[in-house]
Amino acid sequence: MRKEKVFALLLSLIFALTLGLTAEGQGDASGNGKAAPAYPKGVLDFVAPGGAGGGWDLTIRTTAKVLKDSKLVTVPMPVRNNPGAGGSVNLASLQEKKGSDKIICVYSPPLILTKLAGTTDLGYTDVTPLARLIADYAVFVVAADSPYNSMADVMDALKKDIKSVKIGGISSAGSMDHIQFLMMAKAAGIKNLNQIDYVSFDDSAAAQVLGGHIDLFSTGLSEVLGLIESGDLKALGQTADHRVGEGVVGEIPTCVEQGIDATFVNWRGLFGAPEMPDYAVTYWRETLAKMVETPEWKAACKTNGWDDAYMDAPEFGTFLGQVDKEYTDILKDIGLIK
Amino acid sequence: MDTLQFLFDGFLVALTPMNLMWVTLGGFLGTIIGMLPGLGPATGVAVLLPLTFSMGPTAALITMGGVYYGAMFGGSRASILINTPGDGAAVAATFDGYPMTLQGRAESALAISAIASFIGGIFATFCMVAIAIPVARFALKFGPAEYFMLFLFALSATASMTEGNRLRGFLATILGLMISTIGIDGQSGVVRFTFGVLELQSGIDFLIVIIAVYALGEVFKSFNNIHTGKTNVQKKFGKIWITREEWRKSVWPILRSAPLGFFVGALPGAGGTMASLMSYNNEKQLSKHPEEFGEGAIEGLAAPESANNAASVGAMIPMLTLGIPGSGTTAVMMGALLLLGLQPGPMLFQQQPLIIWGLIASMFIGNIILAVMNIPLAGLLVRVLSVPPKILYPIVLGLSFVGAYAISYSIMDFYLLIIFGLAGFLMSKAKIPSTPMILAVIVGNNMEQSFRRAYKISDGSLGIFVGSPICIILIALTVISIAYPVFKGIVDKKKKSSSPA
Repeated sequence: MRKEKVFALLLSLIFALTLGLTAEGQGDASGNGKAAPAYPKGVLDFVAPGGAGGGWDLTIRTTAKVLKDSKLVTVPMPVRNNPGAGGSVNLASLQEKKGSDKIICVYSPPLILTKLAGTTDLGYTDVTPLARLIADYAVFVVAADSPYNSMADVMDALKKDIKSVKIGGISSAGSMDHIQFLMMAKAAGIKNLNQIDYVSFDDSAAAQVLGGHIDLFSTGLSEVLGLIESGDLKALGQTADHRVGEGVVGEIPTCVEQGIDATFVNWRGLFGAPEMPDYAVTYWRETLAKMVETPEWKAACKTNGWDDAYMDAPEFGTFLGQVDKEYTDILKDIGLIK
Repeated sequence: MDTLQFLFDGFLVALTPMNLMWVTLGGFLGTIIGMLPGLGPATGVAVLLPLTFSMGPTAALITMGGVYYGAMFGGSRASILINTPGDGAAVAATFDGYPMTLQGRAESALAISAIASFIGGIFATFCMVAIAIPVARFALKFGPAEYFMLFLFALSATASMTEGNRLRGFLATILGLMISTIGIDGQSGVVRFTFGVLELQSGIDFLIVIIAVYALGEVFKSFNNIHTGKTNVQKKFGKIWITREEWRKSVWPILRSAPLGFFVGALPGAGGTMASLMSYNNEKQLSKHPEEFGEGAIEGLAAPESANNAASVGAMIPMLTLGIPGSGTTAVMMGALLLLGLQPGPMLFQQQPLIIWGLIASMFIGNIILAVMNIPLAGLLVRVLSVPPKILYPIVLGLSFVGAYAISYSIMDFYLLIIFGLAGFLMSKAKIPSTPMILAVIVGNNMEQSFRRAYKISDGSLGIFVGSPICIILIALTVISIAYPVFKGIVDKKKKSSSPA
């Protein structure tokens, strides 16, 4: 009988441990919060609207790490994952935290695209922009033995037979990987955009272009850096307005250079809850402006293949309005919105 | 020779006291995490992510690797003892592991599970050293059509294996496929069957369904006898080891399942669940007495255990050789690599050979440590059977909810857990098997999407599904998997009627 009790106790311990583990997953407390000024005070709440290990997660964790390492922020900044519905779950929960000065989250073009796609009513006007931090650019890659050697080759083939080039990407139809290719195709003068075949894959889409199952993979530059450097994938063009990176990556021509007058920026920026108090907004605008100048941040950008694309809150707000219009136009062209 | 030199250097890295400590710690944590319902390797690695910040890349990778295969070792503990798998890959361990426990053979079951896991893991690590690159290249031949056929084969084999009630097996499969259609459809971007619930847009996580059907289902089933006092509490425990006879039965299934698991694991997107279920089906078909499967056949436990551990090693191949995540767990590990400033991809082997070979060497060491650790641990764990249900089941219930919450930190999952728990209970009352449904939930979305990807790529021609030797082999296997049990049933009936009464 006593053994049973001991065992029950042991089980309860395991149970408690699990609770601890999950709480751990909710955030790692770092720093001890001493010498904190009036704001920020207490524990901040950094949120990645996607799962652990994803692009958003990487951005916000890197930001928190740099802020801590450079001692710009001395209060704890645990990172929390609140994934679901392409970030919309977090967007919805932010609406219940109106006026909060604690929450900092990261977003990128899906913030605008999910609303346009009609899967949520919330968009970029329902958060408080703080700063645009980095940019990744789209890159269009083909297998090393592909007959296509430039963006023009691809566009010519599409003009001859719109079904001849199968485009693959990771996001679902109407989302980023799809849109970024269509914006180039539109600028190249292709009219029947809605007939271009876009095939949506999961994380392993790179394997599909390597294996020759799709003709072209539309993705983010940082996603396929390794495969471009090794020569397994041939990069036909990237969508910045300038050359990005060094070495093999620096040799990838922009689409503009190839006569396609369009750019696409996969920006990532930080946002607060709706109606974030002014003192908090001011604090983060100043802090983030300092952060992007630190050597720690520059080093992180380099290893991750990010382009520094810092933009202060007011300009960032205007920028968001512009891209919203661009995305709307292209989605209208392919008939995804009326 | 180069490989051996690198491997030797890798061992020097892995055998440093710190790294030995990390792999042991990772393996131990993984075993514990794996045992808990809902907390599988992906959650385990994700939870560790913040901690790995402060480690070097080698130590971080070794620890995460330890958690990964530790969870594979631990995942089946709960399957065997209380019929509640902690992860998809541990579902197959319930088929014969739990019946063994009910027969009072839990000790043998736990022992063979550790031994099979060990052999599967070591075998796969050898394969990785020898043939990682060719395997990765071969896996690239799998396009959407091949994946569709592979999923179709796994589903039909599992459904038709449900002895005696094949129709119910297929019914369960269809239920699972229906569940898997919920969420945003990748090919059209349209939201399906979410009834306006935001959280459902990402689909229903198969782990929720597994926890609900097994853990909650088990709790609901015990409602009937929880207060009567008449419980099957085991009081006496033997040594955690197997007999010579049991070893003789298991050795071939273990050796056959390891390469199968390794290869299926190396296919991006297939994973440990597929590997373990395929090896189980495989052994059942090869067996001379398939009627013993599901009734506590030790080889029915040994095979999937070997396969899922081999798969966890195989899943590292696309990540390490190509920088492509091969499973949910490796996707998180890749994110961690980036956080640590490493760029996953083909160049990693050349740029950071010590890190990679250190990881591979630590897999050998980790598997040995886990096997040594798991046998005495099993001796302790088996005593869970002495806990009366009225104490045990509330704890299982609590753990289930914690596990479900850890998946995506969503309250919505609690409701789903209860709904599917009740559904699982009703299914068991109606004698509808749950495994085909679980597998369908896991592969359903991928299978449907693969079909439509292939269809789009071929401009609407079905020819693509017979367009490659891999497809044709998989079709043949699918047909055999459905026809063989039917055919065998007819033959057996004839034998019976022709034999003198």
